[in-house]
Amino acid sequence: MIITDLLGSRVFGPDFLGFVSDVRFVLESGSVRQPAQLYGIIVSPHARSSSLGFERSGVRSPWPVAALVRWRHRDSFLVRWGDIERLDVDRIQLRPGFQRGSPELP
Amino acid sequence: MTPGADDQAARWLDAQLHLLDRQVLDVDGVPMAVVDDLELSDVPVGEEIPIDTAPPVITALLSGPVLATRIFGGRPPDSHLERTPWTAVAEVGVVIKLAIGQETSDVVWTERWVRDRIIGRIPGGRHIPEQEQNDHPQNEERAES
Repeated sequence: MIITDLLGSRVFGPDFLGFVSDVRFVLESGSVRQPAQLYGIIVSPHARSSSLGFERSGVRSPWPVAALVRWRHRDSFLVRWGDIERLDVDRIQLRPGFQRGSPELP
Repeated sequence: MTPGADDQAARWLDAQLHLLDRQVLDVDGVPMAVVDDLELSDVPVGEEIPIDTAPPVITALLSGPVLATRIFGGRPPDSHLERTPWTAVAEVGVVIKLAIGQETSDVVWTERWVRDRIIGRIPGGRHIPEQEQNDHPQNEERAES
């Protein structure tokens, strides 16, 4: 599988939830010498496109761009790998009772 | 779902934000490619994923002709994407630095082919001009005078 198979996919829980706007990986020790594990997907209810990271960091400027991007990606959330039940072409099904996390970068 | 104390040392990479479209430099700092896609290890597709399934990992950075598929959708054939294994990555920052040289990668095979088959057959095309200039006898004479 390649990452563009996931990006832009429609995400469903009990109902339609949004689109995959990004995929988060983790390097557990912080070193790139180890494999980058898939941690979760960032789901945007309103937009497929990349959000340029404004909603994942404290960046506030240039304010028109930040405001626009934040508005387009409002209510975005992070879903961990363990909450993904099934992957299909252009469709991701989440497990019942999945948890919504903050999309902000730690 | 914020990271706990155990995650303090962890580093987080968002694909679109930190990896895709980044310039890739080889071990000598020479631009080599751009990250057009990422290859993931085996993921069960079209079937239920058991709850204890280990998360997939990035196995390779992919580079290739993706402009048309980004505009019109779809994906290029796998054979058109050149792989750089994740194990070759030395640093991820503004650019992605590799621990390998261009000669060991297939990503720049077209440049190598043009160099060997076309440029190399042009007279003077197999050496570095600056070196040749410095070694020229006239330069030694100028230095002595």
